[in-house]
Amino acid sequence: MSGRSFEVGCTVRVSHTFDDLSAHVELDGDLPIHPGDQVRVHGQAINPPYGAVCVERRRATVTRATWFERTWTRLTGDLDCLTLFDFGFTEEP
Amino acid sequence: MTELPSYENDRDFELPTPGPSLGKAPRKAPNETTLKAQQTTTLSPRFYTTNFDELDKLSIEPVRAEWDAMIAEFAADKNLGHFKRNAEWSFDPNTLPPALRQEFLDFLVSSLTAEFSGCVLYAEAKKRGLNRDLCTLFKYMARDEARHAGFINDCLQDFKVDVDLGFLVKAKKYTFFSPKFILYATYLSEKIGYARYITIFRHLEANPDKRFHPIFKWFKEWCNDEFRHGEALALMMRANPTLLTGLNRLWIRFFQVAVFATMFVRDHSRPEMHHAMGLDPEQYGLKVFGITSEICKQVFPVLVDVESPRFLELLRELLQLSRGIEAARTGGVWGRVKTLALQARTVLVMGQLLLLPTRSNDLPQTTRMSPAW
Repeated sequence: MSGRSFEVGCTVRVSHTFDDLSAHVELDGDLPIHPGDQVRVHGQAINPPYGAVCVERRRATVTRATWFERTWTRLTGDLDCLTLFDFGFTEEP
Repeated sequence: MTELPSYENDRDFELPTPGPSLGKAPRKAPNETTLKAQQTTTLSPRFYTTNFDELDKLSIEPVRAEWDAMIAEFAADKNLGHFKRNAEWSFDPNTLPPALRQEFLDFLVSSLTAEFSGCVLYAEAKKRGLNRDLCTLFKYMARDEARHAGFINDCLQDFKVDVDLGFLVKAKKYTFFSPKFILYATYLSEKIGYARYITIFRHLEANPDKRFHPIFKWFKEWCNDEFRHGEALALMMRANPTLLTGLNRLWIRFFQVAVFATMFVRDHSRPEMHHAMGLDPEQYGLKVFGITSEICKQVFPVLVDVESPRFLELLRELLQLSRGIEAARTGGVWGRVKTLALQARTVLVMGQLLLLPTRSNDLPQTTRMSPAW
């Protein structure tokens, strides 16, 4: 693991029910995440069947962005704001 | 600043082939066996950060009376129980012709992704924020979006399409949105969402023989939720007028043009679905733009002139360019050169759209509107 990467505990909650379709990761200690940082949850995919909610403790690897990556992401991220529309601009093949 | 996970719109939404594909490669009609097979759609998440300190500083005091009345509406939750199947739900997925079925699945999956994204965006904003007014609002909006996503997911079960939520174990980078851009984009998204759904609902109310799926019967109450979400975002902007003045007027123009252009191009990629409903995508688009623009009078000091003939001409040109880019994609090196040229032309046309004369708008004394369409 490089100097920019470290592991941290996290809680993953995936809900696949009629009233709630969602997936959240909460890193321990409310760790601040900055633009360009990367997070990967370890282990197998969590995929509850329809009607179920799954909450698991996992480990995650956080990789901090370099100064350049952070600045770039900060400057260009807003362009992606259009993905908040209810319909994407283009579809990737 | 803290993390705000959300989910990409259908760009990263993968549907396996054979079966419903969101790609624009030539589509093959699925055969009978394929129709019966279980399919999986994979959500590929995207994570956003925003400046929560800045978001927390938004004050709603200047619109307190309207705000409290709106929060009371959210709390009353009149749509509790609406998103359930009842006796009016009667549908056999095998009755849809393959091409229509594919486009309709694409529509459902896109809508599900959008609702899912909205839910997570609002849920995270509620979790991370410290502004009590905003946290209360985000809690209710997340509730509504999760309900809508769950309802669409339930519809997908009829088609034997499962949603794969196992994306968290893949590495994902965090990108950044300014709070004000989130407000402009989500306000327009909610309001145009209302205009789209109510236009379809009213059309199918008058032409029930064109209602090829029961979900359209649920659109009226559904889009009232979207309308209410937009009201909340409008109040936030009205209460913080710096979001609506100076250079921000240019951003407001940009977001209006972007949302109209996006919808125009996107809807034309679903000809079967519009044909089945008896809707012409262009006429439908213009009607939706008119309603959206009328609603935007509650908050935006500058409005794109959606009735201008030049506006329509440029949208048509964008559509042709989009189709050209799609066709050039498979053309090797020459295709890439052609794509670049068409993309450059697209930027130019977007620039022309942005420079079209606009209508200035005196903001009304009170912000709230009724979903009266």
